[in-house]
Amino acid sequence: MSCIEARSISKSYDGILAVDSIDLSVPTGKIFGFLGPNGAGKTTTIKLLTTLVPPTGGTIRILGMDAISNPLEVRKRIGVVLQQPSYEPTLSVEKSIEKYAMMWNVDKKLQKDRMEDLLLAFDLQDIRKKKNDDLSIGHRRRVQVAREFVHDMDLLFLDEPTVGLDPSARRSLLDYIKKRVREGLTIFFTTHILEEAEYLCDEIAIINKGKIIAVDTPAELKNKFGREKTIKIHIDTIRKDLSVLLQGIRDYQIDYNSGTTITIQSHSSENILLKILQILTVNKIPIEDLSVVPTSLEEIFLTMVKNSNVSSD
Amino acid sequence: MYPVIRLVNRNLTISLNMGFLIWQVVFPLIYIFVAGFAYTALIHEVPFANKRLDYPAFIASGMIGFNIMNSTLVSGIIIWNDRRHGMFEQILVGPFTRTQYILSNVYTIGIIGLISAGLITAVGYPLFFESVEFNILTIPLVVFASITGSILFGSIASIISTRLKSSEGFNVVINTVFLFFAFVSTAFYPAEGAPKILATAFYFNPLTYLVDVVRAGIFGNFNSFVGLEMLVLACGSAVLFVIATNLLSKLEL
Repeated sequence: MSCIEARSISKSYDGILAVDSIDLSVPTGKIFGFLGPNGAGKTTTIKLLTTLVPPTGGTIRILGMDAISNPLEVRKRIGVVLQQPSYEPTLSVEKSIEKYAMMWNVDKKLQKDRMEDLLLAFDLQDIRKKKNDDLSIGHRRRVQVAREFVHDMDLLFLDEPTVGLDPSARRSLLDYIKKRVREGLTIFFTTHILEEAEYLCDEIAIINKGKIIAVDTPAELKNKFGREKTIKIHIDTIRKDLSVLLQGIRDYQIDYNSGTTITIQSHSSENILLKILQILTVNKIPIEDLSVVPTSLEEIFLTMVKNSNVSSD
Repeated sequence: MYPVIRLVNRNLTISLNMGFLIWQVVFPLIYIFVAGFAYTALIHEVPFANKRLDYPAFIASGMIGFNIMNSTLVSGIIIWNDRRHGMFEQILVGPFTRTQYILSNVYTIGIIGLISAGLITAVGYPLFFESVEFNILTIPLVVFASITGSILFGSIASIISTRLKSSEGFNVVINTVFLFFAFVSTAFYPAEGAPKILATAFYFNPLTYLVDVVRAGIFGNFNSFVGLEMLVLACGSAVLFVIATNLLSKLEL
């Protein structure tokens, strides 16, 4: 069953199309990654799905409800961590979690228990009495994310939740998210850090210039678009004659930097590698190092966005 | 708990800190006890209806209105801070509507206005107790003035907070507007005896109406002019509230 069903949703501001007729289907109990470069339409899409702004066109169903005609009912069952910071500057960390729980009408007894759990899970115990205004950006972000888990919800929107977090806090947050998903929560997640998406998401959509350009699992995206491997051959000495020796071979490049490095990037990297190895052996050129790097999600993302920009231009 | 009450609870928690409470009490006290007694040498008595009030009693009653106006700055500050610190959007992606957000601000300033009026009435009571004429008809006048005044000035503060984008601009405009309201009014001195142009200007200022109604309540002087002032206060607060609500509803996210 789908938690989010959006059909042909569009949003324009002053005649400029920020989201251009996109379709989204997010399965329940999964982590759905939403990736895109700056200004691609990610935050506008989140604003549409969380009912913060109405769409110019299209239909949105969230948790089986029509989000356009029942925005309040939808908002009662979702959680949202916005991209921008949101905090009460005069309240302490524990007071702001407690007041947020009160705003969500969480039972008093549950408020206390959940707050203690969250302070522990997000490593906020040492700063629980500190005012939000006195916190670092990273700590403030942690409070903002932790606070959202204090209330009951079926679907959580996380708009770049790890911005400003150190690597260990980031990993703890991602693991906490995974834990909550195992307990039944559905997550709509945007990030700029592709390793995060790869680590966390069951499915990924890539948006560029307001249009969805790909939707699939990370593995399938790699299968479809990532057959290309990067192969690097390093030679200890500078061999300026290599380009002459490798004449007729395509899709490689040579760099002269502390020796000679040949980089092959091709769909048929293995074939090219064999040809180059033959030439090096015949010419008795010793290889210092050879490495094969599978294409990362980041490379796929960059390639897809580049291709999409070219085709739309 | 109803959503509006939860938001009022939150508003009061973030607004009522020790600094604000001290400012709300100490500032008027200085006016009442320092300026009030210092000016007694210059202003012996102030004619008010069929009474002659001494200046400390006059200024103490004026400070009730002045303090109601000052406390409603909270409304503008709440909206301003919510926008600046991202809580406006956060609340609106939560289980609340814009109408509930606006109503919670109105209730908050109403509560703060009443607390503020109560505080200054208690503090100023020793100064005006000789002339006071509280009764079943006059007490509602003070409550009416406190609530309509809170809504009126709260709406003005809200309108300013929705129109300005920089914190410097917000502070400059709000302080200038409220400074004008404070000193071009009958809060500190009577309209009678003031230069005609100034006395006329007093009546272009809602604080004058608020203070006059409060004084009518305290000193038991209800007449047709006070009735007219109440009507102006009620209409003014209704119009400004509609404008503030409209602007808040259209605030882009």
